[in-house]
Order: sequence, then C-alpha cells, then structure tokens
Amino acid sequence: MDTVVVIGAGVAGVEAASQLSGFGHEVILVEKNSYIGGKLAKWDHLFPSLRPASEILTSMEEKIKQGSFKILKNTEITDISRRNGRWILKTGKGISLEPDAVVIASGFGLFDAKRKEEYGYNIYNNVITSVDLEDKLKKGEKIRMTNGKTPRRIAFIHCVGSRDEKSGNHHCSKVCCITGVKQAIELRNLLPQAEIFCFYMDLRMYGKDFEELYREAQENYDVQFIRGRLSEASENMDESLLIKAEDTLSGRPLKMNVDLMILLIGMEAGEDTINLCKGFKLERDRSGFIKPKDIHIMRNFSSQEGVFLAGTCTCPMTIGDSIDNARAAAIEVHNYLKNKHLR
Amino acid sequence: MKREGKQQVWKDYQKEIADNDYYFQRSCIRQNFFPGSEYAFLKILREELGKNIYDDARQTTCTGIGYHSDIIPFETIQTVVARHFALMTEKGFRNFVISCVTSFGIYSEIFETWKEFPEELEKTRYYLKKATGREFELPENMTHASDIIYKFREEIFAKRKHSLVNAATGEPLKIVEHIGCHYAKIFPRKGVGGAEFPQVLSGMIESWGGEVVDYPERRHCCGFGFRHYLVMADRGYSVANSRKKFESMEPYKPDAIICNCPGCTMFMDKWQYVIAETDKKTYGANGNGIPVLTYEELAGLILGYDPWDLGLQMHQVDSEPLLDKMGISYDPDLKYTGSNGEKMGAPMQPQFIH
Amino acid sequence: MAISKCITNRDKVFERITSDVRYKEGLKSCMNCGVCTAICPAAEFYDYDPRLLLTTVQTKDMDKIEELLKSDFIWYCGQCMSCKTRCPRGNCPGLVINVLRKVSQEFGYFTESRMGRQQYAVKRTVGENILKYGYCVHPEAVKPELHPEQGPVWKWIFSNRKGLYDRLKGNYNNSGPGTLRKIPAESMNELHSIFEVTGGMRFYKVIDEYSKKKVKEMGFEDDEKNMNQYFMHVYKDTGE
Repeated sequence: MDTVVVIGAGVAGVEAASQLSGFGHEVILVEKNSYIGGKLAKWDHLFPSLRPASEILTSMEEKIKQGSFKILKNTEITDISRRNGRWILKTGKGISLEPDAVVIASGFGLFDAKRKEEYGYNIYNNVITSVDLEDKLKKGEKIRMTNGKTPRRIAFIHCVGSRDEKSGNHHCSKVCCITGVKQAIELRNLLPQAEIFCFYMDLRMYGKDFEELYREAQENYDVQFIRGRLSEASENMDESLLIKAEDTLSGRPLKMNVDLMILLIGMEAGEDTINLCKGFKLERDRSGFIKPKDIHIMRNFSSQEGVFLAGTCTCPMTIGDSIDNARAAAIEVHNYLKNKHLR
Repeated sequence: MKREGKQQVWKDYQKEIADNDYYFQRSCIRQNFFPGSEYAFLKILREELGKNIYDDARQTTCTGIGYHSDIIPFETIQTVVARHFALMTEKGFRNFVISCVTSFGIYSEIFETWKEFPEELEKTRYYLKKATGREFELPENMTHASDIIYKFREEIFAKRKHSLVNAATGEPLKIVEHIGCHYAKIFPRKGVGGAEFPQVLSGMIESWGGEVVDYPERRHCCGFGFRHYLVMADRGYSVANSRKKFESMEPYKPDAIICNCPGCTMFMDKWQYVIAETDKKTYGANGNGIPVLTYEELAGLILGYDPWDLGLQMHQVDSEPLLDKMGISYDPDLKYTGSNGEKMGAPMQPQFIH
Repeated sequence: MAISKCITNRDKVFERITSDVRYKEGLKSCMNCGVCTAICPAAEFYDYDPRLLLTTVQTKDMDKIEELLKSDFIWYCGQCMSCKTRCPRGNCPGLVINVLRKVSQEFGYFTESRMGRQQYAVKRTVGENILKYGYCVHPEAVKPELHPEQGPVWKWIFSNRKGLYDRLKGNYNNSGPGTLRKIPAESMNELHSIFEVTGGMRFYKVIDEYSKKKVKEMGFEDDEKNMNQYFMHVYKDTGE
C-alpha cells in the first residue's frame, strides 16, 4: 500500500486526502493548526450565493469521518530531505514520514495591508481589511467606527496588494472583486442608510453567477461603483477618512470623506508555501506561487518528481475551483503511483 | 491615529547616512532667501558636532530649477552634476550632502538613470572630459542636508538652550512638518521614513520636544510648480496649492511650519502674505500668520543662536510669536540692522498680516 | 512638398520621443487606473489629466501627439512627481512631460500655446541667470516689480542686499567660498563649456529663434525692443 502525505487540511487538502484514501492509498494529512479548514474557517458567508461557510466545513468534516485517512493536527513539516529517490519528511513532533508521493495543499497568504502605506492600515482608525470585516460579520459585531458612531459612508477599495508593482504583486487575485460585491451587499443589509461605494479598476466578475451578483448589487442594494483606483487616504480630525481617486469615466479627480474604508486585500504565496518550496526545491512563478509543471496540461505537477500541488498554493482560486483542482491532483497522484509499480 | 503604525513604517525606511567628511552642494534658493540657514548648517556641523564638511567655491548651480522648467537638456544637467562629482573626487571626499531638495531629487534621478542606463553614464563621462578635462567617481553616500540634522538630532538637543515647548505652559508646541516633494516622492527608499510618513522632520520635532501635527493635506505639494512660479502668469496655481494646505492645517492650530525644501519654506511663508492681502485671511492667531522655518533655523533656535543671526528677519511672516512661545529673548531693535548694528530701514508692514 | 515634409517631421518627432531615456523610464504601460490624476495638483486646478496624457502618448497616434505638443496641456504639470510615488505600473507622467516639453521646444510647437510661449520668459530669466551668475536665481535678478508676491520684506532685502547678506555671514559677490559668492571665472568657463558641448547653448538658441519667429508671425520686427515687449507679454499673459 502506497503512502501519500498531504500537507494542509484546508479545502484542497481534505478533498485530496479524501479522494486518495478512496482510491485505496494510505493518506496522512498534516495540519499546522488545531482546526481544519484553513482560511475557510475564517469566513462567514460565501459568494456568490451568500450561503454560510460553515456548510462547507460541515461537508469536510463528513468526508473526514467517512474517510480512512489520518489527520495530524498541530503538526508542521520542519525538515525535508531526499534519500535513495524518496522524500523524507520530519515533523515538529519528531515523527519521520517516508511517503511515496506528497501533495502540497498549503493554501495562500493574505497581503499584509500595512505594506500599502498610503492607505493607512494600522495607522488610521477606520481602515480595515475584507478579512477584518468578515471576522466582524462572523462574530455578529455591529459595524461601527472606532469612536462608536455608525458609518454613514463606506468605501470598498479594490486591488489592494494586487496588480501593483509597488506592493510586489503584479498578479490579479481574482476573487477580491466578487468579495467586495458580496460584502457590500452584506453591509447594505446591516446599514440600510449608509452610502456604499466600490472603487475599482476593472470588475473581475468571471465566475458562475458573479456578473449577476454585481447587477443585483447595483439594482437591489444601491451599491455605487466608481472606476478609479484609490490613490491615498488621510485622516480628518473627526477620524473620518479623506480619500482621493480619479473618476476615470468622467476624467475628473475625486475627493471624498468616508467613515469606514475596507481594503480588499489580495492573495499571495503564504509563508508556509514559500518554506515548502525551499525545502522541496520547487520552482516558483514570478507571482511567488508554486509553478506548475505545465500551466495547461500538468497543473498539479510541481517541478520535482513525486511532489504534487493542490489548491491555492499555485494561484488564486475560489473554493469550488480548489476542490476541483484537488480532485484532479488526487487522480494524478493515483496514476503516478500506479505507474510506479508498473515500471 | 496610531503612532505605532507610523513607527513600523519608519523602521522599514531607514537609509544609510554618512557619519562625517561631507562635500557640500549649496542651494540657489537658500542662498538667496535663507542664507542664514546654510550658514547655520555649516556652523552646527563644524562647531557643535565637530564634523568635517567642505564648502567648495567652484560649485555652480546644479541647474535643477532650469531643468524642471524644461530649458535645460538632460545631457547638460547630467554633465553639470558630473562636474560636481569631479570636484568632490578631486578634494578626496565620497560623501555628498545636498542642501536643496530639488537638487537632491535630480541628483538621485540621475544616479538611478546611470544605474539603469549605463550608456548615459558613459556619455556623461565623455561630455565632461570634452568640456572640462575632468573625470569623476560616484559618491559612496548621497544625502540631503536635513538627513544629517536628523541623524544628529539627539546630539543637537543635548546642547540645547531651548526646546519645542511652550515656555509658559510646558505644553509641547504643535508643529506642522512639510516635506519637499522631491525628497521622497521620486524614490521613497531615499527618504528617511519613505514617501507616505516621512520621519526626517518628525524625528527632529519629536526629539526636540514638540508635537507633530498630521493633517489631511500633509502630503500635498506646496505648489512651486517651477515654471508656474517663475513666470508671473500662472502663479495662481502656486498660491492655490499652498492655500489648500493652510485651509487643511488651520483647525489643528499649529504653532509653526517646518520645511526641508527651500522652495517650500519660501512659498509657505510668502503665500500667507498674498492670501492675507487678497482674501484678508490669516491662519495664525491674532492676525498673525503661522511662522515658517527651515530646520536649521529651528535647530539654531534650539541651540540658542540669535534669531537675527539665523536670518529670521528675511521671512515675510513674523517668527516672533514662535520665539515668544519658546521663551527665546531677542532684541526687536536689532531685527533690521547690519553687521555693525547699523540701521537699514525696515520693510513696510503689510495691511492684513503680521 | 509640404505634406511629405510634415510626415518626415512627425516621424522624427516620434522617434525623438520614444528614444529619450526619460520616456523609457516614464512610460511602461498604462492601465488607466487614475491614481496619478487623483493626487495631481495640476489636475485639481487646471483642466488637466496626467492619465489621459500617458494613454494618449501610449496610442502612438501622431495626430493626437502633435496636438498635445501644440497645446497648453503639456505645460500644466508642476513637476512635483507625486504621480511617480503612486503608479502601480512604475510609470511617471512627470518624466514623460519632460520629454514632450523638450520635443515641443526642439520642433517649435511650443509657440502655438499660451503656456508654451512662456518658455521664452523662463529662458530669459533662469536660463540667462545660469550663464551670467552661475546661479538659477540671484538677488540681482529678483526684481521686486516682477515679484510682488515676495512681499515688502523682499523689497527691503533687495534695497539692502549687500549689508544684509554680509550681516548673515555671506560672501556677496566676492571670491572664495560662502553664500552668494562670485563664482570664479574658471568655473564659469567650465559651465559654459558644458553648455556648449551638451547642447545647452543650442537649446537656448532654439527657444530664442522660435520665439522670434512667433513675433514676426504676429507682425512685428524681432528687434530687442519688441522681444522685450514679447517677454513681458508672455510673462504676464493669463489668457483671460
């Protein structure tokens, strides 16, 4: 029986582990946190339908219950080496693993909004990220300014840490636009009187039901979209924010006071992924994510033999795409192991 | 506003500032309008800090003002800059200290162009040799004069006779810091603290006991505009920009404005006069303007230098309100006198501002 | 004959723009995000848009570019470089402006616009100061009548300049180091030589000659008196 180590018990990792164990392989799923779900565990409601994130987590827990694979929680891979063509993985708890194949499902990192200094995150009081907002929504917190006032005008800022040479990320993070539309709708439900703006460059509504949600946001939820990337934010005396952008569709500079600013932060290669690349000596893309062997036909293969890739460690993806990708990874691993025996 | 957030940014944007042995590049505007400041800079470095700084008589303008008003070809300014590097090399220095912020910007720009386009450097070497026979090395360290004062701000404060504190109430004075655009906007890594939350002047103000005023239009250009000011027709652009800043800082009731760029200091001073005379509006208390000082003038006041030795009499907006707040004594009768105390008349008082 | 000359000239203009190192530094590719216009002081106070400037140049459409070179549009920029700090593609409209202004003068387009014509005044003031004094600005040349905004304090400074600069430990018009020293003849010769060799002198001549051409077009002789009047006109003409 072949052994596969899957690194990361997020959406992709659990799916890959579940499929591979269904194919009859012994699977060990290694997870650094005490909980499964990775980033999914932080989310409240998911785009495009606004269904609760907990439903996906529940389905993952079902898979784990019904599956026959082991999960090692609170466990990190601390050492990676090669011996006689096999990968040797050591965990922080001193366990040594010698799998026949590895699946990296370490997920993505979130852009640290402090790096975009001109937006004042961590300096001005009423600047939060989409992740901060999601946390507040999950906890059922009232959305207020730090001085307790109800925000009358809210601005969502697109492309924070993406499509931005200065932030170090040239790539588009794909899912921030739809996240902004979703959260704008959610805020409208909580703050019926507020003015809600989205400052965007392009609206990347590429996925199933995305464009329809954008239209709904305009027609039923009174979200205003302004085509202009935020240039800078400053803090007023009353802690509201003075923001500057250009309304590029009318070709005029625009200044506005807003009470709350939400930064739609992008995805980048996480620290865990970067460390795994160092350990396995994997090639990375210019964007920093793990480079697949072939972008069209070998998306789950890394540059190293026996090391496979699933989910957002290779590029920004939705939850649905991550699950698809993880299933594909499972098939590739399964075929790889089959062929190993035939050789 | 969270100061710790700014401190994080400051940590990320620290730059190498040489310790000693400087070659000094003077500023046209400062020599004209703030001669006391350049003198104070050299005095502070030599006499208070014991540093070695060379003041070269053979320097010319860097032509930066001409370059940014587009009458000087890029090749010409590169060669003028190269000549100054040649003079620096000849005197055995490798640390270049620049007095003007426009200069600092253009020197930095040229430096980076030479890195990215080495053929420009070769062309410049050729031109300089052909025109003057000179050759040059690149400086190892290139900073602005305000970086040096920033670096030694604690040493300066240790010798203080005054601090940025209201002598009567003990409260820190509220100071607006204005950074010249070409200091850090072109290359954020070349400015202490970067472009968004520069620390070069905040550091001085806080070390010297004052409180920094942050206001929404802090990063806005003062409006020099180069050709917009040099030619009379479009000076309105220049005033409008400064006015925008004054309107934005007014509610915070600052006690003074400090700038690290010669043009900015001049404009923040003179445009208050123009706005007062045209709109009858002043931004300080009691019909006063907000005093505008260079960082050397401020350092000099901290060290106990006489305000008229520093050249404060050359400002249009009176600095006396600030001097009074700091508890600095001065002789008003000596304000408009010459080297030997001889009277030199006095400027007419404007109608709507002191 | 005129048409083919036009085409050749425009090819030259295009080549001149795209071969300039500041063009290469200033325009990589623009995605129309607008962060430059958002904080541009000139866009606040004039009918100007640096994003539009860059995208126009990006089209490589010589009709549009020639129109730019002849208009006030390229003269609004105040060279603050706030655009450079923010651009997510590493562009800089301020640098591209330098190229366009240069080219506008080299090819004589600048006299077609009110603000472009002002270059004659800049050359006659700052330009000549550099060659005469070795400074961009010199007290001798900051005449209070031309600079009322400098206030009554400048009038006083100007009338008492020798005494005042002495008081402030300057070295006004003397040899040796110090504030407002007389720059030694040898250094001035080197400066002039640099201008000669690098095309600085030639460029001043270009500004002069096209300005004289404009004066002739306006129906006047390009003698000293008329050129002085022209100077005053472009120095003060707000277009209203």
